[in-house]
Amino acid sequence: MAAEHKPTTEDVKMDLFEDDDEFEEFDINQDWDNKVEVKEATQQWEDDWDDDDVNDDFSLQLRRELENNVVKS
Amino acid sequence: MAYLSMGESHRRITDYLNRFADAINYQDGDSLARLFSVSSDSPSLLSLADALNVFQDANRLIKQSEKFSQFGEVVAPFFRSLQCYRLGNLVDAYGAFEKASNAFIQEFRNWESGWALEALYVIAYEIRVLAERADRELASNGKSPEKLKGAGSFLMKVFGVLAGSCDLQGKGPKRVGALYVTCQLFKIYFKLGTVNLCRSVIRSIETARIFDFEEFPIRDKVTYMYYTGRLEVLNENFPAADQKLSYALTHCCLSKEANIRMILKYLIPVKLSIGILPKKQLLENYDLVEYNNIVEALKRGDLRLLRSALQENEDQFLRSGVYLVLEKLELQVYQRLLKKIYIIQKQKDPSKAHQVKLEVIVKALKWLEIEMDLDEVECIVAILIYKNLMKGYFAHKSKVVVLSKQDPFPKLNGKPVAS
Repeated sequence: MAAEHKPTTEDVKMDLFEDDDEFEEFDINQDWDNKVEVKEATQQWEDDWDDDDVNDDFSLQLRRELENNVVKS
Repeated sequence: MAYLSMGESHRRITDYLNRFADAINYQDGDSLARLFSVSSDSPSLLSLADALNVFQDANRLIKQSEKFSQFGEVVAPFFRSLQCYRLGNLVDAYGAFEKASNAFIQEFRNWESGWALEALYVIAYEIRVLAERADRELASNGKSPEKLKGAGSFLMKVFGVLAGSCDLQGKGPKRVGALYVTCQLFKIYFKLGTVNLCRSVIRSIETARIFDFEEFPIRDKVTYMYYTGRLEVLNENFPAADQKLSYALTHCCLSKEANIRMILKYLIPVKLSIGILPKKQLLENYDLVEYNNIVEALKRGDLRLLRSALQENEDQFLRSGVYLVLEKLELQVYQRLLKKIYIIQKQKDPSKAHQVKLEVIVKALKWLEIEMDLDEVECIVAILIYKNLMKGYFAHKSKVVVLSKQDPFPKLNGKPVAS
């Protein structure tokens, strides 16, 4: 098995078997019952962000840019 | 090591043997589990290891009495493993542990109830961890690391024992242990980069009649959903990835912040790709600020920001395998930019708003320091229309895209971009 990149040989060997995102073990006897808290802690998503508001800085600059460079018709 | 007398060593070894025999005779899975956890470096196991290294002939003690000798095939190699572990010889520690584990599985197979499941969990965990350390030792000696692969084969055998443990009704009490073993296998396959090997266990878990997913312990369900969710990300099956990772997120133990963070590392790109954004608070709470600018780029329609955010964290995103997912967000950012141009035009002159000159788009991109000519912009717009991110048609000659008057920029609403 060969590593893709080639830093020092030592590094290559240590990199051979890596999964940076290995899930931590829960305790063998760990049991839990998630109620409200976890929802509050983790359910923080927006699905109505794609609005028609063009008053943010970016849009204002975009507007200025488009108006400064009037396109000939 | 402080001086340890033969007498004291003898006492420690017989004490362990007595506890081992008692745990089995009283079917005390909890105690039995602790007697196997080599890598926990518990004081009692470490002092036993020292005793074994002084005494050197524990086999004689095992053979001496019927009470101990009946478990000799488990305990003798286990002692050897512990001795090697204590001396830092991890390859031999692994080899002996696998031998002890094999003998244990033979016993376990014959026990009717699932009382020893906890001990089996510890063995499944230890075999993986010892194999990893043994492989490190092999690699640093210039030898080919192969123990973790071996641990995978061993755990497949354990899985088979658990899955095959049915009684006449087709359901055995040991089957609930199968998901824990599956999760250990996932950890091995992800580490070895052989994730395609996950498939056969997944098929068994999800289709075999003896398994009922809801019956498994919560900790295993969460781990399972995390790994299968990551597999769905690799397959670019975003609705399935969303469902699995969201399950892991809402069911994960809150105190395990590192695990919640790892779930989010994969769930966030998935959510982004179906048009759902994480709130700032979420990114801050779990230190995932590398997503801040990506979210901002989507909100603004700022292509330059998206590209720089991807570049800045390229290594990290490539390593976790989400780079390609994030790169595809470009189309959504184009959509947002065009929508903004459309709205700005509409505010100025509603009657002409639905005609967007390609030249105007070229200009907006130029302002973002992205050089594209009319043909390239036409091509991007064609893709947006094809992917249903935009509704309209080209007036090719006049270099204008005519937008549909109704819902010109359809939202994803939790669905992936059409492929």
